[in-house]
Amino acid sequence: MGSRYSYAKAESALDSRASPARSVIPPAAPGANCAPARILFAMSNSMIICKDVSKSYQRGGETLSVLDHLDLEMEAGRFYALMGPSGSGKTTLLNLIGGLDRPDSGEVTVAGAPLSKLGSGPLASWRAANVGFVFQGFNLIPVLSAFENVRLPLTLTPLSKAERKKHAELALSIVGMSDRMDHRPSQLSGGQEQRVAIARAIASDPKVLLCDEPTGDLDRESADQVMDLLVRLGKEFGKTILMVTHDPAAAARAERIVHLDKGKLGHIESNVGA
Amino acid sequence: MDFLTLTRRNLWRHPLRTTLTCGAIAMAVFLVCTLRSLVTTLDNSAVASRNERLWVQSAVSLFVSLPQSYQAKIEAIDGVDLVCKWQWFGGIYIEPKNFFGQFAVDPEKALSLYPELTVTEGSKEAFLGSRQMVLVGQGLVDRFGWKLGDKVPIMGTIFPHPDGADTPWEFEIAAIYQSSKPNVDNQMFLFHWDYFAETVETASGTAPDVGTYVVRTHPASDQSAIMREIDTMFENGPQRVQATTESEFQAQFVSMYGNVGFFVSAIGGAVLLAILLAALNTMLMSAREQTRDVGILKALGFSDGRLFAYMLGQSFALCLVGGAIGVSLALLLEKGISKAFAAMLPNYAVIPQTIVLAVGITFVIGLLAGILPALRARAILPVTALSDR
Repeated sequence: MGSRYSYAKAESALDSRASPARSVIPPAAPGANCAPARILFAMSNSMIICKDVSKSYQRGGETLSVLDHLDLEMEAGRFYALMGPSGSGKTTLLNLIGGLDRPDSGEVTVAGAPLSKLGSGPLASWRAANVGFVFQGFNLIPVLSAFENVRLPLTLTPLSKAERKKHAELALSIVGMSDRMDHRPSQLSGGQEQRVAIARAIASDPKVLLCDEPTGDLDRESADQVMDLLVRLGKEFGKTILMVTHDPAAAARAERIVHLDKGKLGHIESNVGA
Repeated sequence: MDFLTLTRRNLWRHPLRTTLTCGAIAMAVFLVCTLRSLVTTLDNSAVASRNERLWVQSAVSLFVSLPQSYQAKIEAIDGVDLVCKWQWFGGIYIEPKNFFGQFAVDPEKALSLYPELTVTEGSKEAFLGSRQMVLVGQGLVDRFGWKLGDKVPIMGTIFPHPDGADTPWEFEIAAIYQSSKPNVDNQMFLFHWDYFAETVETASGTAPDVGTYVVRTHPASDQSAIMREIDTMFENGPQRVQATTESEFQAQFVSMYGNVGFFVSAIGGAVLLAILLAALNTMLMSAREQTRDVGILKALGFSDGRLFAYMLGQSFALCLVGGAIGVSLALLLEKGISKAFAAMLPNYAVIPQTIVLAVGITFVIGLLAGILPALRARAILPVTALSDR
């Protein structure tokens, strides 16, 4: 197994519940678990840094500003929920952080890489190595089985065929889908599809998981299972997770809740119970 | 491997559409192979006819005969080695659909003129031994199930039998030949001039004229000069003649079909254009359906270049499978077509150059059909592709 694959090296971690090493955000003062955004720049262990980021779209001849000079910094190994009303720029911010889109101005730095300085090819390679995506609509390739979907991003790694197989099987076992690996997406329930999508997102052991309404299309029970899984990935494997959600119950599982409003950063809640 | 699996599964996402498109490409490639093979067969026949033989025919038309007295005069020309009478008989064997060429010839001279004819059954001596004996090609034997010693009745249409138009001419198969070159086909029926001339004279009261003379020149002689001399010799009649090389003589028959090359190219081009549009349509529909998949793959880290190759690969895979079926079909049906058109187009064959051409055309169709979807897949932003519904 390649050494950079944390769960491949630590299959035992599935059961060990070992806490990964990570920096700890200074505890919020009692009764004041709301931190202003500027405080975040004092962090030393930042995984995601957005500096003065703006993004607008053209809609019917009008320019629609979605993100407006946004500053944001997120610590490595933390689970963040991104909340806000529709149109507040949550998904746009997620796409910019994931390198799926580019800002009009400002700089997005993730895992130490300034994304605006990366060309299309290096940006794709960077995505493959550093980011895993979980979408609301699951976005599995319909013609591939669960196992093939999970193995797909591993073709971009230097792993051998046997190692890719082992990694994919391990990722599926982490999400509890080992018994459904030969099923096509159409043969799975929504919750199962999302778990396979999470397995795919973590298969190549990325540092960051970006989840866009991962429970949006799921019933409560499936949503809880998915949230349990995401929390576990954060706690056990030290993933930095950024989850866009409208669901307060889902957001409550995150360590930090970042509020966006009209393209600007609102406030950040430190969820001490998470 | 995963990309190959993905390509295969995506092509099979709509089995009927893929099958129909593949079938259309296969049919187009088959047609191109077959039409091209018609042209190459005709061309090869003409090219292979380059030798020391000349054909002398009426300057007016092939249907106008020449006096028998011309034979001796031509033989007297310096550089001429041998002159053989070659008369089209045009009879019917059992029914008109059994068309093949029957020729009244000077038998010994004909065998000398055409060393390409190898007697495989019977013997030259048996053929030369009796006036009713015939030498037939292996192609006719295969076609009609003939064997040595069989009596073959031929109804004379241009030259009726003296006993009446309903009485067939009787021949006996003395030898069977196999041609070693494509310019001499395996479907000739050669019989004795003497038998022909006497029977015609009995029926009509006059000795028959000769359709054409085949002349063999000395290898060191100047064929152009001999042809000019033959033409000049009979300039003042009774029949003006035209001497040509054998390849030019063969080319006359090709030109009777019109500009074969042009027609074949025009038909083939139209077919290919139609198939290109069909393949392009399929690829565009397929690419449209896969827009979201392209977004997913880009989000997973697959580069624009890989996505370009992936979409182009799908087009190539579709076209190459169709092309392979088309070429296989052309090769499988080669013998059947050769047999069906044996009389009009002897030695029909799909040559390697035609297969290379078909494979090349398949690649070009694959490239042209796939380039637009591939460019689109390369250019689209992941976020745009992912928002596709």
